[in-house]
Amino acid sequence: MALGNKTLNDLVSPISAQLGNARVADKVDMPEWEFKAQRVTDGLSHEQLVDMFQAEAEKVRVKVSRCSAADLATCIGDIVREGVPGTGEECEVVCANDERFEQAGLYDALKRRKLVSKVTVWDPEAGDANVDAALVATYGITYTTGGIAETATVVQPTSANCGRAISLLPLVHIAVVDASSIVATMHDVMKGFEESGEKLPSQVCFISGPSATADIELVRVEGVHGPMYVHYVIVE
Amino acid sequence: MAILYNTEATLAERVEECLEDDFKHNAIKNAQEAFYVSRGKLVEEMGDGWQQLRMHAMEVRNHVTENLDYYVKQFAENAEANGCIMHYAPTGDDALWEVLDIFEKHGAAYAVKSKSMMTEEVGLNEILEETGIKIVETDCAENILQTAESKPSHIVVPALHFNRDAIADIYREKRGYTGSNVPEEITHFLRKILRHEFMEAEVGIRGCNFAVASTGSVTLVTNEGNGRMVDSFPKVQIVFVGIDRIVPDLESLDTMMALLPRSAVGAKMTAYFSLDSGPRGAGEIDGPEEVHIIFMDNGRHELANSEFSDMLRCMRCGACLNICPVYRHITGHGYGSIYPGPMGLVLTPGLVGYDDIDNMVFACSLCGACTEHCPVSIPIHDLVRQHRINMVDEHKNHAIEVPIFKALGLFWSSRPVYMAGMTLGPPIMKALAHGGQALDASSAWIPVVKGWTSTRDFDVLSSTRFRTWFKAHKEAQADEKGGEQ
Repeated sequence: MALGNKTLNDLVSPISAQLGNARVADKVDMPEWEFKAQRVTDGLSHEQLVDMFQAEAEKVRVKVSRCSAADLATCIGDIVREGVPGTGEECEVVCANDERFEQAGLYDALKRRKLVSKVTVWDPEAGDANVDAALVATYGITYTTGGIAETATVVQPTSANCGRAISLLPLVHIAVVDASSIVATMHDVMKGFEESGEKLPSQVCFISGPSATADIELVRVEGVHGPMYVHYVIVE
Repeated sequence: MAILYNTEATLAERVEECLEDDFKHNAIKNAQEAFYVSRGKLVEEMGDGWQQLRMHAMEVRNHVTENLDYYVKQFAENAEANGCIMHYAPTGDDALWEVLDIFEKHGAAYAVKSKSMMTEEVGLNEILEETGIKIVETDCAENILQTAESKPSHIVVPALHFNRDAIADIYREKRGYTGSNVPEEITHFLRKILRHEFMEAEVGIRGCNFAVASTGSVTLVTNEGNGRMVDSFPKVQIVFVGIDRIVPDLESLDTMMALLPRSAVGAKMTAYFSLDSGPRGAGEIDGPEEVHIIFMDNGRHELANSEFSDMLRCMRCGACLNICPVYRHITGHGYGSIYPGPMGLVLTPGLVGYDDIDNMVFACSLCGACTEHCPVSIPIHDLVRQHRINMVDEHKNHAIEVPIFKALGLFWSSRPVYMAGMTLGPPIMKALAHGGQALDASSAWIPVVKGWTSTRDFDVLSSTRFRTWFKAHKEAQADEKGGEQ
């Protein structure tokens, strides 16, 4: 048989034959599962889940701040105050284009900071200039859509107003998460996607701490290809 | 690289070479211990939840295997509906053909790649390099291996067999590194040089940990972020997906993700886990403009509905490697397969058959630690044993074993022969032991005996049989009692 240009049927029919099926079933119903796993988060109150989210985050070396929606700009401003971590030099910031940031006055507050030389707000009209800004930025700031207590994970979908580069290229990622959006496990997030019935975004990234490796002699090193430092800001 | 490598050496030669490399098996031992301890803590924390998760994962994955044709079709159709360009690869060669075709259509000659076992399986790097395409491995360990032109020794941390000095030297020689041998400094050097590669590459190539049938999504689990870089900046993306990667829906994806990082590296979650559903959306600036999915079988369907169908549950976490006493000593390079350790003993012959694997499936003590640790409860050691049975049935074992076992069978089933052996045994052994109590290394010239006595003593058979002694003992006791009366 010639190579390449195979159809779905070329892939599926040997499988059907192996299974003894004359043809692929039109519909397979999911069985009633026999097992359901208990999770460490079972029975916790929402307040306890938020505490667990913070405690787990700190275990994976994420710095956590809590503030009210009104104080968001100040809280984030305090984080970027030190400039480039380690050197204290002037730094650039790239932010997601988010109404809540606008309302909190975040963009203006950042621009007023002494050590912030430039603030780029992600702009779908500006094309690759967004990515270029993220490449040189020290801080990337995003508003995540949820938090997961069990694993200290933030849920970061890609959109026209929030590119993948913001939470990936800068040295520091500041992820804002509404306390009300913190759930127990990834199961809750997945179930939410399924129940919404909407098409998933091109990417949903589940982020749990700084980029890290242990590839050389199993020594943990942070800051490989993604951010070296991660801050979660919980908005209460 | 194909599935098998270094096959010019025999299994015994590879094993011997690995056993002599103290740094290498100590590195593996340290990794095993580190992962064992951290995994153990997390499992304990979950109480009964861990076993329940394992059982649930098993029923979910079995359901997919039992309806594999349906789920393969469902995933393919949904991924296509998401805007992915599907390429179907019943064989590894079909996959290579499709990849080359994509490069040709785009006139591309520069690719970055995040670690993918499927691409190793088909020897993708070698083929691309032959056609003049530059392909850069971006996982730190894989980059070290690529730069050093070496092979993985572990499926999760593949460059453990190099120490920090060797790694620093590799980059000094090949990439102009001028820093120290401190892992942090070397890693940050890699961050710098690879960032440039990510931004310049035309094509990103990656694997897929789980494919979600109901949404047509692919997923990628990484800690370093190289997967995200590959996934974000090259305009064209090629995703290798095995037909055995499927979960039915997003809820079962959660089950698998609760098991995978804990089993693989003893962490609750990896730094990144991305769920990708098609190319960049309207107005999005980054992410691939084109996503090509290479949906590959390469022998996997033959495991379905067979005595090895349990293996289709495997999620390549490496937990079985991290507990295996044989792997600890012979390391990934001993096996001669890109899939080493317990899971490799089952999967390798499952994919390539018995002809070229030497006696690989006998490199196992059948202790069952792998089965106990497997997050999807694959009876790994039973399947290893099944491969052995098949090899013997098909006469694929070493030819010399047949007369040996026939002779042993005769020896034990014939009383006169057995008695003669028992009478002759002790004096012969005594002579070989030079009159001592045990055969030592001096007897290592005898072919079969050598396997034991070259490293340990073998006690000489007693000249008195136990039955004879016991009979005399009882008689003596009876006499004593008789005397007392």
